[in-house]
This record gives sequence, C-alpha cells and structure tokens, in this order.
Amino acid sequence: MSSLSALNNIHVKGQFGDYEGKDDKNLLSISESTNLLIVQIVQYKSSNLSSDNMQIDGLNLRDNPLLVSSNDSTRILWNGPRNWLLVSKKKDILNEIEQKFNDNEFAVTDISHSKAIIEIEGKVAKEILKKGCPFNFGELEKNQCLNSTYNGMSVTIDMLNDDPDKFRIFGLRSFGESLYHSIIDASLEFGYIAK
Amino acid sequence: MLHIKCPHCGMRSQNEFSYGGDATVKRPALNKEVTDQEWDNFVYNRVSPRGKHLELWQHLSGCRQWIKVERDTATHEIFNTYKTNEEIA
Repeated sequence: MSSLSALNNIHVKGQFGDYEGKDDKNLLSISESTNLLIVQIVQYKSSNLSSDNMQIDGLNLRDNPLLVSSNDSTRILWNGPRNWLLVSKKKDILNEIEQKFNDNEFAVTDISHSKAIIEIEGKVAKEILKKGCPFNFGELEKNQCLNSTYNGMSVTIDMLNDDPDKFRIFGLRSFGESLYHSIIDASLEFGYIAK
Repeated sequence: MLHIKCPHCGMRSQNEFSYGGDATVKRPALNKEVTDQEWDNFVYNRVSPRGKHLELWQHLSGCRQWIKVERDTATHEIFNTYKTNEEIA
C-alpha cells in the first residue's frame, strides 16, 4: 500500500514570488518533509519514574522547556511538562520505544500520519514565521522548539539550524493546506524555491 | 495584547491562552452535605472584582497546561503566574 504525504497535491515545485535577480543560493527554500516517524510520548502524572534516564536512539528524554535533544536521525522535542514529540528518520525506533516505555507509566502514540510538515530554510526564515506567529523569534536558538499558532493554526516549530536558519513546522494534517498557503503567502515578497 | 508568562514555557502572547475563570473557587469537599446555596455558589455565583484577581488560564496552543494568573482586572497588569499545584503565599 502506498501512502500520500499530507501536501502531496498542494506542494508545487518551482520558483515563486519576488525571486528574479536574486542568487538561488540565498533564496528561501520551502519543502515538505515526508516519511518521518512521529511519536508523542506522555508520562502520566501518577508516574514516579525519572524520565531523565530514559533513552531512545541514544538520546535522553529531558524535561527542559524548549529543548530539543538530537542526533543525525532523531530529534526529541519538548512539548510540555512530561510530554515529548519524537521525530525520526528511523522507523524501527517505534519497537524500541514500545519495549522501553511501560504502559502504566507512559502513553505512546504514533502520530506519523496526522501531521503536515513544512521545512523552510534561508536567511529570512524567521521573518516568515514572525508574520503569522506571536512568538519572539529573536530569542529562539538552534535545537530549540516551541508550540504556538500560525495564523490561528496550532503548530510546533523546531529550529534545525542557524546557518542559515532552518525550521520544521508541524501542523495538523487537516490544516496542512491552509498552513502551506499561509507560509507561501508570507514568502512571496522575498521570493522562494519550492523543492 | 497581553503577554502572559507561562511558568512552564516562558513569556507568550495571550493568543496562545484560553481563559478558565476564577481560580479561587473551591469545590465543596466530597461526601460532605452541601446546601443548595453552597452548590449554587460553587457552580454559578461569581464575584466580579475590580483590582487584583486570581484566574485560571490554559496554555492551549503551547504546553497545554492549566496555570494560575494574578491579574488586575482594571489595568490588566499581570503580577505573577503560578503552576496549578504551586502554593501561593
């Protein structure tokens, strides 16, 4: 069975907006991230386990606001107190999680197919985010993440890199089309390459 | 627009929060005999103070936690925010 990505029929590749006369290398790029494993991990309030010692793919679950623990293939985003979002290229990690995380202590939910994921990269990436999200992006650093809204839609934003700025924006799959159009509308004035 | 300091996430826009009412209302103890008046007071009757007020807010688009906010209802100044399980002096 083949699965369609959330933006399969919406994301159109090419150059758009005010891109003429600008160097392709410095142009904002927009792409859809696909084939990622996304798992929500919530530790129950009744659980007394120290989550700091729990490891997935060599990464600790750390209960620090905005923090992202990461390696080349996996990122663990802090989503709230005792609440994490694991994003990984390795699909088989799910087995490891199910073995390590006791049903009585943690709720583990595979939400890989319920998210639309847009990646934006470029020097003006923060400007795009500022247009729709009330968070103070001046404070945000590499390997930090946040939950907020973009034009009223709930999003999770993960800062992957800072040279140039690179972000992954997770929205609900059902809001994917609206979110995508919000992002490209905000990007038109700078010009962008859809990859 | 208000900015509210979530005790979990830090300073955020009011857009991310949802108002949850008076934080000083206490439910009558379980299994205790309550009069209709006491139940009415718990469910319906609210004071509308001018000045400092302790409120419940939920960081709905952020960490999704309920928090307590000490706010002036006249000036909207926010004095303090607390986790729900935090004791307030």
